[in-house]
Parts: sequence; C-alpha cells; structure tokens
Amino acid sequence: MIRQHPLLQPYTPSSDEPFDEVKAAHLLNRAGFGGRPDEIERVMKLGPQDAVDWLMDFPDAPADEESKTDQPDLSPVEGYPKNFRELREKLANKTPEERKALQQMLMQANREALVQVVGWWMKRMASGPFPLQEKLTLFWHGHFTTSAKDERAALLMWQQNELLRRQSAGNFREFVRQISRDPAMLDYLNNQQNKKAHPNENYARELMELFTLGIGNYTEDDIKQAARALTGWGHDGQDFVFRRFDHDDGEKQFMGRRGNFEGDDVIDIILENKACAPYIAGKLFRSFAYDVPEDGVVESLGAQLRDAKWELRPVLRTILTSKAFYQPRAVGVQIKSPIQLVVGTVRLLDLEFPQPQRLANPLNLMGQVPMMPPNVKGWPGGRMWINTSTLFVRYNTAVFLAGGAMPDSGDRLGKSFFGGKFKGPSQDRGDITGNFRPKNAAGSADELVDQWVGRLIQRPIDDEKKSVLREALGDDPNAASVRKMIQLIVSTPDYQLC
Amino acid sequence: MNDNLSTRRVFIQKGMTLLAVGATIPTFLDQTVMALANPFDTARTQKDSGKDGKILVVVQLSGGNDGLNTVVPFGDDAYHRARPTLGHDDKSVLKIDGYLGLHPNLAPVKNLLDKGDMAVVQGVGYPNPNRSHFRSMDIWQSGRPDQEVVTTGWLGRFFDNTCAGCDPHVGVAMGQQMPLAMRGERVSPLSFERPESYRYTGKDEGRYMKLNKIDLNASDAPAAPSTQPVGVAKPQAAGAKKKIEVTTPKEQLDFLHRTAMDAQVSSDDILRMTRGHNPTGYPPNEFGNGLRTVAAMIKGGLPTRVYYVSLGGFDTHAQERNRHDQLMTQFAAGVSAFWKDLEDQRNADRVMVMTFSEFGRRVEQNASGGTDHGAAAPMFLFGKHIKQGVIGDHPSLTQLDQGDLHYKIDFRSVYATILQNWLETPSKPILGQQFAPLNVVRA
Repeated sequence: MIRQHPLLQPYTPSSDEPFDEVKAAHLLNRAGFGGRPDEIERVMKLGPQDAVDWLMDFPDAPADEESKTDQPDLSPVEGYPKNFRELREKLANKTPEERKALQQMLMQANREALVQVVGWWMKRMASGPFPLQEKLTLFWHGHFTTSAKDERAALLMWQQNELLRRQSAGNFREFVRQISRDPAMLDYLNNQQNKKAHPNENYARELMELFTLGIGNYTEDDIKQAARALTGWGHDGQDFVFRRFDHDDGEKQFMGRRGNFEGDDVIDIILENKACAPYIAGKLFRSFAYDVPEDGVVESLGAQLRDAKWELRPVLRTILTSKAFYQPRAVGVQIKSPIQLVVGTVRLLDLEFPQPQRLANPLNLMGQVPMMPPNVKGWPGGRMWINTSTLFVRYNTAVFLAGGAMPDSGDRLGKSFFGGKFKGPSQDRGDITGNFRPKNAAGSADELVDQWVGRLIQRPIDDEKKSVLREALGDDPNAASVRKMIQLIVSTPDYQLC
Repeated sequence: MNDNLSTRRVFIQKGMTLLAVGATIPTFLDQTVMALANPFDTARTQKDSGKDGKILVVVQLSGGNDGLNTVVPFGDDAYHRARPTLGHDDKSVLKIDGYLGLHPNLAPVKNLLDKGDMAVVQGVGYPNPNRSHFRSMDIWQSGRPDQEVVTTGWLGRFFDNTCAGCDPHVGVAMGQQMPLAMRGERVSPLSFERPESYRYTGKDEGRYMKLNKIDLNASDAPAAPSTQPVGVAKPQAAGAKKKIEVTTPKEQLDFLHRTAMDAQVSSDDILRMTRGHNPTGYPPNEFGNGLRTVAAMIKGGLPTRVYYVSLGGFDTHAQERNRHDQLMTQFAAGVSAFWKDLEDQRNADRVMVMTFSEFGRRVEQNASGGTDHGAAAPMFLFGKHIKQGVIGDHPSLTQLDQGDLHYKIDFRSVYATILQNWLETPSKPILGQQFAPLNVVRA
C-alpha cells in the first residue's frame, strides 16, 4: 500500500491562498473549456471541493440518452445501406460503373455526416450541459485513438464517441473491454482482419504499447500471443461480431502465463501488470494538471486507481482537488490545444458556434481536427502545438472568431478536412461573427481593459501589455474599439496558455 | 457489450457507409515542438548556411513503405511464393536488371535512374529492428538506436555541430510537423505547411507586435531557447541522478514570445520567394505542394542546407495494392517534377535527395491483401553527384528474421555518406560512432 502523496491531499483555501477568481477560472479551464464570469462566481461560492463535485455530477451515459434531441444531424447518410450485408445486396447485379457511382455517393454522404458529427461534438463542448464529460471524452479520444480517415463510417465514429463519453469517468477495465469491441476501433487497427490462419497484430500491439502499458513492458512474443487471443473479434459494419471460426482458442503463453486465453483474459492479465495503473493515472494527471509531476505523484495515483478497482472518478477527483493542481507552477502553464482555444473562445465570447466546416481548415492547420488524430498515438500536446506556423494560425483564428477577417488560408478555404465538397455556404468568405458586438463596452478605458483581460486571459498580464491595450481602446471607447482590443487580447502569448 | 439502444435506433433509421475505397485524403501530420533559435542573426553569409551551399532534401515515406514492392526482386521465386496476389510480375516491373525492377508506377523515377541521377541502396536497416512505427521512426530520425531517450535528430545535431549560430532558416520542414530528425539542442529550424498561412492577418499589426514583444530593430539577439519538449528529461550521463525539468508559466510565455518573433522575421522572406513559383508537373496534393515550395525557396536563395518533406499513408496492413500503387504514382510525379524544376533553375547540381521509411514490410503478404510491419528496405538517393545504379546486395528472401529481411547496410552508413561526402562534415560526432561511408558520392 502506497501512502497518498502529500501534494495529492486536498487543497484547502486559506487567507494566504484564497480560492479566488484565478483559481476558479483555472479549475473551469482544466475541467472544461473555460468559464464565463457567472460560472467563475458560482465555482468560487461552491469552493474547491463542492465545485469539483458539481463538475463531476454527470451521468455515465451517452449524449443521446441524456437528451433524445441532442444528436448529430445524420440525414446525409439516410437511406444508405446500414451494414455490409445490405451494401452487398445493394451492389449486387450492378454494372461496375453503377457500383462506382454508388460508392462515390456513399463516400460523399459519409464525409458530410462526419462533419456533422464533429460539429455536433464541438458544439457540445462549447455549450453542452457537462463540460468535464466532454473534456474527458476528448482526452480518451486522444488515448484510445481512432481516425475517420480511410472513409471510416461517420455512424461508427459517433458510436465510438458515445462510448468514450459513457465510459469517460467510469471503470477502466470495462472501458478497455468495450473499446476492444468497438467497430470503429476494430476497423482502424485492423482487428477486423485478425484471423486464426493469418493473425494481424496491429490492435494487440497498440493495446499494450499505447492503451494500457507503454512501450517496454511486454515482448514481441506477448504481442503475437495477444493477437491470437483477439482473433475473430470483428464487426459487420454496424455491430461487434465474434467470428468463432476465425478465432484461435488454442493455448497461449502470455506474460509468463499459460492457458487458453480469450481476449478478456488478455485484458485482465495486462491490467495486472504493475505498469498499467501508473501509466493511465499519470496520463490523466499530466493532461489535467501539468507535465513532469513531482516524484511519487504518479505512483500514488496509480495505487489509488488499483485500489479503487479501476474506477476513474476517485482518481479524477483527487487530481482536481489536490494541492498539486493549485500550485503556482500549475496555473497558466498549459498550452491550449487547438480545440481548447477554439471552443474556449466561443464560450468566453458567448458566440454562436460557427458551422463546423468553417473551422475545419484552421483546426487542420493548427494540428487538431477532432476524429482525425495524426496517428494512433493521438496528439502529443504541450509545446508540440506551437511552432512559427501554428502560432500565426492560432492568432488568426482567434481574431476571426472575435469578429475579424477570415484567416487567410489560401485556396483551400472551404474545402473540408475530409476532402469533400459541401452544400451550404462553405465557400462564402463572409464574416461569420460579424454580428459580434461586445456586450459590455461601457466604463472607463482602464476598467474595460481589466474587464476583458479578466474575462479572456483570466490571469494578470504585465503593465506594458496593459498599456498597449489601453492605447488600442482610444480615449473614447466604443463597441468598435472594444472589439479591436479583444482581437488584440486573443493575439497574445498569454491567451495561448491556461 | 452494452448495446446503446438509442444509437442503434438511429443506425436502423439511417445508414452506413463504410467503404474500402482508396480515396485521396489529406495526410495529417504530427505536431512537434518548434522552438527557434536566434532570428536576428540574419547575416546570411555563414559558410554553412550560405546560399550557394550544397543542399540535402529528405523525403520521408511515413507508415512503413513496402520496400519489396517498391524495388521488386521479381527474379526471385521466393518473392512470388510469399506474395501470390500482392507481388508484381516480371511483365509489369520496370526492370533494372534480370533480378530487380522498380514498381510499375515509378517510370519517371526509372528515367532518373537511367540518366544517371539516382542510386538505389539495398537492404538498409539496423540491428534488432523495432517494429513499432513510433520507436522505429525515432530511431531513423535520431540516428541513435542505442539511446532509449532521444531529444535531437541527426540533422539537428548536424546544425548544432556546424553552425550553432545559424539562423533557423538553415533547415525547413514542410508540414505542421517539425520532425525529430531536424531538432537540435541549439538550432531549431523552421516548419510550416504553406507559405500563405504563414503570417498574422489581424488588423493592428503594430500593437500585435508590441504585445508579442516583437522588436525587429533589437540589436541583441535573444538566447536560443531549449528545444527540449516539455516533460522530457534530458538524457543524463550514466550514474547521474535524473534531474527533473520543470517548466514554469513564465518560461512558457517566454517560449511563445520567442516563437512569435521568429515567425515574424521569416514570414516576409518566404512569402516573397514562393509567390508565383508555379511550374507545371507537380501533383496537386500536399506532397507536390511541399516539393514545389522547397524548389521556390532554393530558387529564392534561402540559406537552407536541409529541407524535409513527407509523404504519408504507407501503413498498408490491408488491401495494399491500390493504395500502394497510388502512393508510388504520387511519389514518382512529385520527385520527377521537383528534379526537372531544379534542373530548369540550374540548381540540381547542388541538391541531393534522400528517401527513407521507418521500416519495410514483412516478406509474406497477410490474409487481408496487405503486409505487416517489417524491417530492412531500400533507400533512394537522387543527385548529379551520385554514382548511378544499385548499391549493395539484395537481402535473402528465405533466410529471414521473424519473417523479415535481414539488413545488409546500416542506415547510419548512408547518413555518414551524406554527412561526410555531401555536407562535408565529420559524421562521428553526429552519429556517436564512425560508420564507413558508402562509395556513392562522386565529385
């Protein structure tokens, strides 16, 4: 039994370290996508413990169980075949030209549906009822990665997204079992092709290398044996199927044990490996608090995860209420992911969420398109988000959201990250947030600077920068000059951090 | 598995479109660290980044290119036995000799071979091959398979060793990814996807520059930032206690200020050079655009020694044939258009192109019409100072290492060749030990 690390004990406010606006905003940034003044005030009133309880008070359920009306618009794929069997039937007795035409229509419809799913999800992040659940869904999407490229079905991507949401704070063992049966995952990592006669090792490898243990905690032979246990796990285009005749039920030697292991046995044995719990708990800590935790923090959290029989909520609660989480080194040290930047800007400026295809190209150029991770490792994050090129795109996109011009993205503007053309105004270069009028443009110039820096950056900035913003407002601030100042605030290095 | 009833309900109402079609999808690249050194050292005359210097262009084929279906040992029965449906027959390959041929779609590349501007290096790999994409790519990019933790690349160390004071233009990586290969301790090069997206478009550029502490008239250059990715401990000498590097909020701000300044400095230069450079022949995709932009920067005289371009999508576990055929077409079109462009601008003489992938693929095709992760594979070199032809012997197709080819030539010998005989710098400090260069570069 490892004793809890002192830095993981609960932070309790004191007169020296009060739970102030900066700390409340910090919690809302990390456990969500940023808080508006009313939300910050609410969190301050609740205090650090109750605020976390409030944020964690979401059902372990998919969005469409939370609300029957909250679903992506999937009309683009309406009427198309639902699974491989129907597809085969539809393609039978067709000429090659007819088949090709149908496949192209399907592909186009699927791409449109994908954009709807991505847009629906981002809108949920910005204005859904449970920001922490969406933040966790995004975290797990970067962990149990699946990409929509290769024309993966939008419906399967959405179904997986709902699985990530349902399990986001649930039981990790159950999570691994379910994701290992998820059709989009089985497809992405080729377990669909993993058969007794010809094993495909791709899923088995990533299951250990990226999803549970980290590299160096298994052998090449363990991968081969795990792949055998997972043979026959596939999908029919719609649901998980277990193909008995493709399954290898023979004896396997896996991580020093011998037996006729099945897929779930392999998962259980992996979770018994002592590397697993710290790997998962540490990744959560780094994502929600900061990189490079102090010695012993990860081990302590790992022990808690094992003791809690792989329930994720207690570990999350520990992280979000800990002394570590509120240390000065933790506040404002995280570089916002492109999704955090975009969704946060929409939230903090109280904007209507733009049409998803309008954001596709900027998100692509910033390096983070939801459902299109660069590879199975997900997004590396941290300083990896920033280079001379992405920094320009980040500034330009934030300025655009704050009522500025569409960022110059050349001739690719309006084309989708899924490569398709879109109905609707995607070619329109117009100013989607042209209606953005800052609501509070009243007050003295100094008050307005403080107000908007507080609202957007949520931490103090240096006096030199403040005076530049003060200048930008002019002597007689009006809506236009306030908007101009806001565009400058979101073009600061400070705004890139949370 | 818990069935999600309402999701199922929608599935039943709507439809599915999962298709195994080889559509053209943009390649999304990794994000990587980009901390720039010294933007004010604009003396573009240093020997090592002088605008007339020799240039290396690295083409990375990401995902594990199937070497056996790129340079095909069609004269070997074992090849056809291992690949009954995936193999290329002797009628379709572009024959180099009675044993080897290039993929049928590589005709433009074969022309370069025939006219003496290309060499094929066979069976390149390294001991104890790793079959993880990430680890093997790290190994190739770092050039240090012996080190577990690598934070610099072989080209990054070339920059460090030869021109620690160089401005970041010494290396340019096309794409959002700054590859590990280009990352140095003291010098970090540029990385961007397209020149047009490489500038600030807000209205008040003057105040923007003040807020980002960009002062183009500053005389004292800022210190080069660390290129350590946050959260990765620096490699320590054996026995030394591991030191944890903590990044503070202030250091993050400084990092952002420096990056903003560096971005401003180089944006103008590059836009000027690349606008209007639009020769015909480049394939209309990211790979083709990347090569075209590189050619424009070479023409414009950017003092760059190394350019880096990637072509992705080579992880062909299933239904490999169509995908690989398309990739070969793209590769051939891009490289041949690039080479013609360089010849037209009379710069081909000072450019060498090197291609690599993180590994080849298994000799035997799998049951999904694809191939799994393998080991050794061929590399291509293009240049006017190349000894034309095939270097080394083809690895045996029957004496295998867990189903994969044994390597014949260590990839670090290829790097040593390029470093010593092309970039004219000692290779041992960069590669950690001396590897014998291949006899492939001529004066």
